Amino acid sequence: MKKIFIALTAVAVLLSACSKDFINPRHNSSEPLDEYFNTPERLFQCLVAAYDPLEWYDYAFGQYDNLHLIFDVMGDDVYAGGSNEGDQPLIVKTHYYTATANDVCNQFWTVNYSGINRAATLIKYIDGAEGVTDATKNLYIAEAKVLMAYYYNMLWKLWGNIPYWEELLEAPYIAEQLKHDDVYARFIKLIEDAIDLKVLPMKAAGGNEGRVTLAMAYMLYTEAVLYQNDQSRYQTALNYMKEIINSGQYALVSDFAGIWEESGEWCAESIWEINYTSEGGIRDWGNSIAAGGQVNSILTGIPAPKNVPDYHEGWGFGTIAKSAYDMYADDDIRKDGGILNFAKYAESHPGAEYTPRWQDTGYWNLKYIAREGGNHGYLASDNLNYGNNERIYRYAETLLNAAELSVLLNQDGSSYLQQVRDRANCHDTGVSREDIIQERHKEFVGEGKRYWDLVRSGLASSVLKAANHEYRTVDWTENKKYWPIPQGEIDKDPAIEQNNY
Amino acid sequence: MKKIATLILSLGLSLVAMAQNATLKGVVLDSANQPVIGAFVVEQGTSNGTMTGVDGDFSLTTRRGANVEISCIGYVSQVIVNDGAQNLVVILADDAEMLEETVVIGYGVQKKSVVTASISSVTEEDLKVQSQTRVDNMLQGMTSGVQVTQNSGAPGASSTVVIRGISSINHASPLYIVDGMPAGSIDYINPNDIERIDVLKDAASAAVYGARASDGVVLVTTKSGKEGKTVVNYDFSYGIQNPWRKPAVLNATEYAIMMNEGMLNAGNAPIYDDPYSLGQGTDWVEAVFDKNAPIMKHDLNISGGNSRINYSVSGGYLSSKGTIGGRFDQSYYDRMTLRENVGITLFDKSEERNWLNKLTFSNQISFAHIKSASISANSEYGSPLGSALGMSPLDPIYADAAEEERYKSLYPAGYPYIIRNSEGVAYFIADGGTYNEQANPIAMLDRPHAYTSTDKIVAGLNTELQLFDGLKFRNSLTLDLSYVYSHSYTTQYFLTSKSYSLDTVTSTTTYDAKGNPSTVEKTNYGSSATQSMNRYYSYQVENTLVYDKAFGKHFLNVVLGQSAYMSSNSYVGASSRGLMYPDDPWKISVDNTLGKQTDGDRNGWGRWNSIPYSILSYFGRVSYNYDERFLAQATLRRDASSHFGPNNKWGTFPSFSLGWNLKNENFLKYNNVISIAKIRASWGINGKDNLADFLYAVYAQSGNNYIFGSGANGTESVNTGVKASGLANPNAKWEESIQTDFGVDLGLWGNRFTATVDFYIKDASGMLMEMQVPSYAGDSAPTGNVGTMRNTGVEFDLGYRNNIGDFNFGVRFNASYNRNKLTKLADDATYITTSSHKIGTLTRGDVGEVFPYFWGWKTNGVFQNWDEVNSYVNAEGNLIQPNAQPGDFRWVDVNNDGKITDADRTKLGKGIPDWTYGLTLTMDWKGFDFSMLLQGQLGAQTLNVTRRTDLYYINLPKTILNRWTGEGSTNEYPRFAFDSANENYRMSDYWMEDASFLRARNIQLGYTLPVNLTKKAFISRLRVYAQVENAFTLTKYSGCDPEVSGGFKEVGVDRGVYPQSRTVTFGINLTF
Repeated sequence: MKKIFIALTAVAVLLSACSKDFINPRHNSSEPLDEYFNTPERLFQCLVAAYDPLEWYDYAFGQYDNLHLIFDVMGDDVYAGGSNEGDQPLIVKTHYYTATANDVCNQFWTVNYSGINRAATLIKYIDGAEGVTDATKNLYIAEAKVLMAYYYNMLWKLWGNIPYWEELLEAPYIAEQLKHDDVYARFIKLIEDAIDLKVLPMKAAGGNEGRVTLAMAYMLYTEAVLYQNDQSRYQTALNYMKEIINSGQYALVSDFAGIWEESGEWCAESIWEINYTSEGGIRDWGNSIAAGGQVNSILTGIPAPKNVPDYHEGWGFGTIAKSAYDMYADDDIRKDGGILNFAKYAESHPGAEYTPRWQDTGYWNLKYIAREGGNHGYLASDNLNYGNNERIYRYAETLLNAAELSVLLNQDGSSYLQQVRDRANCHDTGVSREDIIQERHKEFVGEGKRYWDLVRSGLASSVLKAANHEYRTVDWTENKKYWPIPQGEIDKDPAIEQNNY
Repeated sequence: MKKIATLILSLGLSLVAMAQNATLKGVVLDSANQPVIGAFVVEQGTSNGTMTGVDGDFSLTTRRGANVEISCIGYVSQVIVNDGAQNLVVILADDAEMLEETVVIGYGVQKKSVVTASISSVTEEDLKVQSQTRVDNMLQGMTSGVQVTQNSGAPGASSTVVIRGISSINHASPLYIVDGMPAGSIDYINPNDIERIDVLKDAASAAVYGARASDGVVLVTTKSGKEGKTVVNYDFSYGIQNPWRKPAVLNATEYAIMMNEGMLNAGNAPIYDDPYSLGQGTDWVEAVFDKNAPIMKHDLNISGGNSRINYSVSGGYLSSKGTIGGRFDQSYYDRMTLRENVGITLFDKSEERNWLNKLTFSNQISFAHIKSASISANSEYGSPLGSALGMSPLDPIYADAAEEERYKSLYPAGYPYIIRNSEGVAYFIADGGTYNEQANPIAMLDRPHAYTSTDKIVAGLNTELQLFDGLKFRNSLTLDLSYVYSHSYTTQYFLTSKSYSLDTVTSTTTYDAKGNPSTVEKTNYGSSATQSMNRYYSYQVENTLVYDKAFGKHFLNVVLGQSAYMSSNSYVGASSRGLMYPDDPWKISVDNTLGKQTDGDRNGWGRWNSIPYSILSYFGRVSYNYDERFLAQATLRRDASSHFGPNNKWGTFPSFSLGWNLKNENFLKYNNVISIAKIRASWGINGKDNLADFLYAVYAQSGNNYIFGSGANGTESVNTGVKASGLANPNAKWEESIQTDFGVDLGLWGNRFTATVDFYIKDASGMLMEMQVPSYAGDSAPTGNVGTMRNTGVEFDLGYRNNIGDFNFGVRFNASYNRNKLTKLADDATYITTSSHKIGTLTRGDVGEVFPYFWGWKTNGVFQNWDEVNSYVNAEGNLIQPNAQPGDFRWVDVNNDGKITDADRTKLGKGIPDWTYGLTLTMDWKGFDFSMLLQGQLGAQTLNVTRRTDLYYINLPKTILNRWTGEGSTNEYPRFAFDSANENYRMSDYWMEDASFLRARNIQLGYTLPVNLTKKAFISRLRVYAQVENAFTLTKYSGCDPEVSGGFKEVGVDRGVYPQSRTVTFGINLTF
């Protein structure tokens, strides 16, 4: 009897003793993040995750806001399209400059801050892994900083005055909203820091295509400097452009149309692309942020085509304005190399036709069109797994940047401009900044560059007038420069000041 | 002479004496006509007496006219004048105070007279008025403050149990404690094994279960053996079930009329030339239901004991078929249970010494085997009942030869796999374009069936050691192990062109690095098998010290305890495609399939001990009373849950309660009218740890991949990326439920009338939900303690019982009023549930409103003519409804902006009732007994959204015949149109109906054969009975059943519930 009593007491004591483990069970499928990034392989996984949001733009959280499409519909070359005004209303409202705090492409906001969060995560955990050389660490830091700057650059261009943070936020997860000039001052510094680490390669190769390179950092830097009209950094930017040019690692390719084929990905002209793959593509309706193919091609493809062997059916968004096609001389290789003139196509393809939808023009963005076989090897949805990479920076832009910066610095950069014209078979001769902006217009139709060029050069308020547009009723004005901040963010952080859109 | 006189006198005296003695013979029975054995029969004021025998019989000789007292512990004594009766039947009434003496309060029992908390007790006696297959259903209508909604009429279906209102957005089922052990699933318990159920309703009573007590605690006590001779009980019942109501749909003529009208209203030609020639057509609703689905129960219980050991051993078998799909084995519930409760006194020296003087063990082991199958219900998307509502009455159930011939060419691939009945007759195939997910419901049911099989063992060992004087040590160990096995398979089938599963061959073209294509052909199997096994394991260890002592008029009871509970779950499963023996169900398994893992056709999953859940607790309770007049109790419990991080692992849950038992005061003690008078007040906090595992911390999350490399040079590859699992809230802490309760207990005329009234305010604070974190923080928002909710209510429990001669009767009535209000919410757009077809958003949660409520447009009649349409204008004179036409709804412009927009949606109603009530009637007379249980609700609405408005040519509910057909026809129903510019069928009060009801849950009539007849067969009691469940329901609701649960976030949304059965049962109770 006494033994029983002792045994029972022992049970009680034992239980209290092991209580700490008892109420702190271990996770059986994951590890605390603080302990996870402890090997070189795992640190690399952290870096990969920082790149991941790049491929969400086209179809994250149910919004089809492909980068070039959403930027171009604000300009003068591209229409919203689709079946009607109510089809993808966010694209239409962006197109019409009628976005509101409740109806704005807010996924850009979320995607970019997700990227910033992950870049900051890498920087936080960079010292946790053993067996990683300082060179690798610095490389990862440089990549993370440039990525963070890339995400901020987009937020800054779209919204201007945004909450800004570099170190992971902690509860209550509130950051200070900076004015657009201050945002610029902060993220340009991130790029400078990364460049100063002197670890980034000029060009990525051998399976590293898609990672941040020195040339990419230079291009991002220059893009921001030009957008900010930051004269104090013009010379540095020009030097960077010359460095790329003089490196000899990049060149213009002669086949302009070929750039946009799968075989043209990461061609000699390519400085940076967002990578997609159709092969094994697992992007799906319910899995919008999986790494796989892209969604843009189906969006901007030709609706219900018949007797069109080269292109798949699409939904008819992002039609190209006739004026864009007409601005080229007939022998400019960018004319039919970048734009599909369907009527012309039908001449060589008997019986070719399609069902026009809203804002139809007969011209299609050939650069990203849904090509036959473009989704080869897809596993999940055939519609959501086209392999086309999103071309962000091409060497042609390096040359045009160099030309423009030269003009801005009163230096002679006409040879850079001429290289681009020569490749295109373009016979224009002017070398003023306006001429360079026009050359960019021709070079980058459907690549999401035009609108920003108009804004930064001050041409937007005269070019983007409703009177010049077939559908718009609202003029572009200075206050259209920054989108309304999504209402949900203001609800959650009342300190945020709304933009006057 | 003197002597003679003396002699005569003495003779006379003796003569008188002789004449005045009388022998009283009779039998003593209890109120259930059971013999009372061992009752004392004593001449008052003398030691002259006897005891009743095994049949309750006695014989006593006393002076004629003497007062004879008949007494027995547990019964009210009676005094009878000996008049020499020879066949006296004395019925001893149960001593009310004895019966209600104790209440189970968690870690102990308490005399009811000193209970200060709000506890509802339901005893075995009370439970006799119903017949349920599950414990959670048993409380329906039985007591105030407990709202039980049967989720479905399917066999073995669970109930939604809400104690004192939806406590929180994270509302969960109450915590069930069975013989001291928390029970996850409750259906392993045979209701026949239950001795009593105590519901801890207020915070003070539940506080001793601090963690997880905020949704209320239900304590279930199973039967144990009593000292005395062995009693064998055998119960058998057999019943037949039919749906108490079938939804009314159109017959063929009515259908054709409506379709024609729909076509005309859409500007098209009518389809049917002569609707009246079509007659009745197929009644799909009638066809989908089974007739007289059987339910059968066997229960055997053997109990008894002596001073050292007591035991109760029982076995039960239940078999119930569903009223939909039962005949195809698609809906059934079979359960076998075994239970053994044994108590052993190892030694008892309490008469010798006051220390370490008694050691007892009690042991409970229960085993349950459940096998069940269920059909999809409460869904408008292709469930059998949903399809039966939608199928055209013009369609036959079976295809005739010509029709079948048509399928050959219409569905060449599907034809070999069309569904046929057991005689090979093909079922009619509905047109896929018309019916979408819906299909011939009979064909749907006559297909391979899945089943789930559960084996559960719960074993407990309790040890109690008397330490010193009033101090006891108690240890309890409980293990709970269950295996849930599920088995399902699909053969190739073709139900409609939208619902089929067939082998198909696809060719996939792949490209090598150089872009050269190669094509591979692959069979995608339409058949498949899935098998899975889940193992749930939990244990609990508790140690308590109890001190119970009276010091003069001071009574003190102290409980100190520790409890540790852990549960975990492991699982393994596999699925594969391509059945090798599709025609032989015996050979169906994942093993016997053709699917290969390399093709993605074979899949397996498993995890050992999926994140364990643990709770560690320390608690103390002090109960004190002075002279049983002034009562007080205080409880403190500290719990640590594995769901919380180090910052807030522990929660502290105090409670206090006070009572004043006026009956024991001198001014009431001798009052003949008032038998109970007590007032109570309590306050306390209960906790809830409803937070997903590890949400307090940040974990590594894979799958955040990115592609590096170039497709052009063949280096493209997907790289694994790992990020944080989300933003963390290390400070997430216990959600709290703070409750104040005031109560009054009253008993009059020897407790013939009893009343209990409680008033409570229950506040949920720190409701765990997604926090208001801006998305610029870069990851998903953490869960935090935001949001509050309040429930206020009043509860009444009234009882009356009396007898008029042999006629005994009792009435028990309970009613509860509860008002729920969401008082704070992090993000008021979060809680929206949406019906995905045309009706739109149905329910939502908002601050200041009941959670959840029905949300939509308000109608204000139907436009009778164009004048009415044109005169409905706003301040600027513009038409408010420019798209309307006569026969369309006039929408209320709630925000007065002159337009009908989304912003005009408003609160329409709610599925949560204001009042729930229950009424029990019992009566017996000379062996006959009768009982009736009525139950219902008031002030609730149901959203009848069973109709698919997105499908045009489907059948419609009968109520559609009330549609507007011209000026003056109706002002409530719109014109019938498949679609209208006015969107008449969007979410509005049109879909909402009054869901108040009164339901006769059970009506029972029994007869107990006279003991002197049955005892010849060694039967001490034989009762036969007949009962009807759901005999009638009074309701205005036009749908299948006003009792719609829909779950906590969609209360009252009827998407086509499985109607409850009307069951007619015959049974016997045998006691040896």
